[in-house]
Amino acid sequence: MDNVLTKSKDVTLLEVLDRVLEKGVVISGDMVISVADVDLIYLGLKVLLSSVETMERLRGSPFASPMQEPT
Amino acid sequence: MTENQLVYLYCVTNEEPGLEEAGSLVNNLYFVYQKGLYAVAGKVRESEFGEQNLKKNLADLGWVSTKASNHEKVIEEVMRSACVIPFKFATLFNTDDSLKAMLEQYAEEFKAVLKRLENKEEWGVKIYCDIEKLKASLADDEPEILEIENEINLSSPGKAYLLKKKKAELIEDTLNKKINEYGQETFELLKELSFSARINKLLPKEVTEREDDMVLNSAFLVGKDKVGDFINMVDTLKMYYEDKGLFFDCTGPWPPFNFCSLPKPETQNG
Repeated sequence: MDNVLTKSKDVTLLEVLDRVLEKGVVISGDMVISVADVDLIYLGLKVLLSSVETMERLRGSPFASPMQEPT
Repeated sequence: MTENQLVYLYCVTNEEPGLEEAGSLVNNLYFVYQKGLYAVAGKVRESEFGEQNLKKNLADLGWVSTKASNHEKVIEEVMRSACVIPFKFATLFNTDDSLKAMLEQYAEEFKAVLKRLENKEEWGVKIYCDIEKLKASLADDEPEILEIENEINLSSPGKAYLLKKKKAELIEDTLNKKINEYGQETFELLKELSFSARINKLLPKEVTEREDDMVLNSAFLVGKDKVGDFINMVDTLKMYYEDKGLFFDCTGPWPPFNFCSLPKPETQNG
């Protein structure tokens, strides 16, 4: 039963990065920078985006797309 | 010499934020008020967050980890007593005036989003799959696969060899179908308990640092009164799928990072 619910206190860094770097409101306007530039961080994390494709292939038909919530 | 400072925006809310706790996490935290909205912001050094240096710092995982965690924690503290719109990491303004101008410009949109988010929480559900365990469970449970196994036992060595190959192929095919099916079923059941739901990109093992594969990465906007039901459902699904090699990772409540997109088409939410 342990691990069913991870309290936000001890969530992994992954969970945090997955949200704060990828999500949240982005506004255009009188700003210094619009940080959409997460590619650099991905390099730091050694993320190979092709691995994501590997998973999608493994998972078969990409059920993610039709069910994706419109934003 | 006083160094040039920038304004770093964390979140926007429509209630006066208590910043005591959050203020202990980062320096120089304050809020600006405009048109019924409060923007929680902090002063940061241009030498750290200015365009050139920010790019350099973004390649430094240690730096990113600390700053991203702070970003998250500050918003979480504010969220304890108010409904918030979380902004993306490193949303920067030149001055308080430019931040106020932004509040002014988007006031109606922000209010609409805050109204939509009222009394709701974001929860995240990731599913990981131990592929070998799932394969083993399929070999035990799937009638079609069991049938071939029976045939193999009754066949000559030559025929058995071919049938074994067929069985392996069948397991591979079934595997994909089942992963899809389990993920979809989980998502649909949890979606029913939520106001809104979305599926995000799967993260590769290099990032998750887990042995098993991520097969679902989803987020849900759940009414506060439904959170208990939601967690019970996750618990039930977890037990149901445990023997099939699935591991459920449920986290929350999060600031509604996945559900704060503005209604206007020229703005975007990642």
